[in-house]
Amino acid sequence: MTNNFSLLIPEFLVTGLAFLILSLDLFVSEKRKDYLVWVGVIGLLIILGITLLTFTNGILYQGLLVFDDYTNLFRIFFLIAGIIVLISSNEFVKSNIKYKGEFYGILIFTILAGMLLSSSSELLTAYISLELLSFGLYVLVAFDRYNMKSNESGVKYVLLGAFSSALILYGISNIYGVLGTTRFDEISLMLTSIDDLNPFLILGFIFLFAGLGFKLSAVPFHMWAPDVYEGSPLPITAWLSVGSKVATVSLVLRLFCESLLQIGNEWQLIIIVLSVATMLIGNLGALVQKNIKRLLAFSSIGHMGYILMGISALISVNEDGSVSTEMTVLVINGIIFYVIAYAITNFAAFVSVIAVFNHSGQDSISDFAGLSKRSPFLSLVLVCSMFSLAGLPVFAGFTSKFYLFNAVGAQDLLWLVALGIVTSLISLYYYLMIARQMYIEKGADSAPIKVSSSIRIILMVLLVAMIIGGGFPSPLMDLIQLASEALIS
Amino acid sequence: MISQGIASSLTVEISFWVISISTILSAIAVVQIKDLFRASLFLILTFLGVAGLFILLGAEFLAGIQLMIYVGAISVLIIFAILMTREIEISNQSHYMRILVSMVALGFMLLAISLITSTDWNLIDSRSFPQNQTDEIIATVQNSIPTLSKMLLTEYVLAFEMVGVLLLAAVLGALALVREKK
Amino acid sequence: MTIIHFQFLSAILFSLGLYGVLARRSAVLILMSIELMLNAVNINLIGFVAFRGFGQEIQTFGQVLIIFVITIAAAELALAIAIILRIYRNKNSVNVDEMNILKG
Repeated sequence: MTNNFSLLIPEFLVTGLAFLILSLDLFVSEKRKDYLVWVGVIGLLIILGITLLTFTNGILYQGLLVFDDYTNLFRIFFLIAGIIVLISSNEFVKSNIKYKGEFYGILIFTILAGMLLSSSSELLTAYISLELLSFGLYVLVAFDRYNMKSNESGVKYVLLGAFSSALILYGISNIYGVLGTTRFDEISLMLTSIDDLNPFLILGFIFLFAGLGFKLSAVPFHMWAPDVYEGSPLPITAWLSVGSKVATVSLVLRLFCESLLQIGNEWQLIIIVLSVATMLIGNLGALVQKNIKRLLAFSSIGHMGYILMGISALISVNEDGSVSTEMTVLVINGIIFYVIAYAITNFAAFVSVIAVFNHSGQDSISDFAGLSKRSPFLSLVLVCSMFSLAGLPVFAGFTSKFYLFNAVGAQDLLWLVALGIVTSLISLYYYLMIARQMYIEKGADSAPIKVSSSIRIILMVLLVAMIIGGGFPSPLMDLIQLASEALIS
Repeated sequence: MISQGIASSLTVEISFWVISISTILSAIAVVQIKDLFRASLFLILTFLGVAGLFILLGAEFLAGIQLMIYVGAISVLIIFAILMTREIEISNQSHYMRILVSMVALGFMLLAISLITSTDWNLIDSRSFPQNQTDEIIATVQNSIPTLSKMLLTEYVLAFEMVGVLLLAAVLGALALVREKK
Repeated sequence: MTIIHFQFLSAILFSLGLYGVLARRSAVLILMSIELMLNAVNINLIGFVAFRGFGQEIQTFGQVLIIFVITIAAAELALAIAIILRIYRNKNSVNVDEMNILKG
């Protein structure tokens, strides 16, 4: 059987781009290294164009990697997100990071890992992609070498990450041992042919979920998130809260849809419990935070709770115990749209925080007092993104919540939706606290904040995307519909 | 190659028990001993025990890898780290939540053991050959190096390449974190 | 020597590693305990490979899994030790309990 390697062109090109940056770093003078980021951005733009032009469906290595519309959607997402992260980290890296080439090279490796994760449909490949992503992030989190906070969050992240990967491996080894396979489609076949589940298999899946829960920072595996978010360099915090989360969600969604739908009533309750705990603890924990990174960390934990809610609603269990999957496509639509809207909004929030941080070097919430006087544009973007995260109308956050909650409600989980709405209202409180700081409180410093033109453009694009995603989501929804149909077929 | 009939051989049985008991004892020593340096020596003993189990089952290639990477590289790295951080004697006290934690670990062990004993491996419908009986199964990890290398370089070649990228990322990252610039 | 013995051995090693990760305070010792857990995974896998009566292809796949586990474990450990050395140089301690700058 021959493999059609043209399917892998974007991945090869991204790897090549990373190598290019790493080797350029060896030759160019220290001053010119500031231009490395633009090499990366232009390279990713070209790869994005090639990906859009050359896309074909197919599988590689007898189904280890699947390239369908779902893969392509997430590939495009990671390329665009990578461009945003590169541009927004430019100024931070200029002033704080010594090894610029390594920083950008490893960042691009994590983009590659995200792209591979969305296409892998086998546990070993998925695990290795996940490790590539985590390895990159371990390094990047600790990259601000002489900053004690960065060191400390690096140690915490690497220890917990290694622990969670040991859990995932124990899970995989049990799944392999009982079923003799780790491919998602074969797992699904085996599960339907087995009458009652082997307890050892259940143990394996529980360990796998626990490890993935660590990566998603779902309660009760969330303790690391606030500390790691607070300590790591700001652009990397943004990438942690968007890139690593979206990558893990893309894997979890494929795993659940392709291999676990048939045994839905075995895991539905567990995911519901996790989702409730995650929503509550994420949103309640955010109420008392004084540092904006910690606040956004808890808020992203809360958002993972909504995504888990969506996953728990992938199937509905009838009264006689049978599983119906009629509405599954709608729920997948909701989850994917939610993830994308979350990514856009979170990026908008983080990039404006980065702009403030580049100017002042501060990241506690009280430092945002009087921001509306110092930079009306930044505070406008920040307020819009806060409203969108809270799920107020007009913005993408509202529309995506509406879709997701609607789909979950249609699966007979109305009480879960009600809880989701209540926690969204709680979240409104702390998001509004930031808005209050910016518009009502008077700040000590009143010097205007200079925003570089590249960050200004990014913020503009994100703001427009937030509003378009809220007002006219139908073009995006068409793409998402294709992706979810590819996933379920 | 170890021939068939390995399970019935008394020597193999005895060496299995010796190896596994010494592996468990040294693992206990790793998590219990106060002196970090000695703990790392016991860790090496555990690695050696696992390599011995690989050999017992006829997976000599894996045993070689285990010896080279775990005993050769990882142990050296760990000892190196212990010496670099000069904390041989000081900071090896345990947590205040020690009892709670040991309950968690013990709970997991009991759960796993009860699952293991309650599982009848012969009845699991899978792609295994149904006529095999667990008690009589002969360890059949034989002569698999050619197939192993073939699988690594055909079906799983992408995973193989990805591990290459991953090692590169790890090396670069480790250097960028530790190297001092002139 | 049956599959059950290997399962027992793996479960015991894994829970010892779990105990070590949760109970010890030195970052290096936590890493060592994680290595114990990964070795438990390998024992689990080799037990399944040898005694489950899988066909040759699945058996080989199990060994491929073991190889990848060992490789990634080594890389992970090297990276973790680099990060630990970094914090040691700045702080002179690798004690996880003393890492408390990051608090809400």
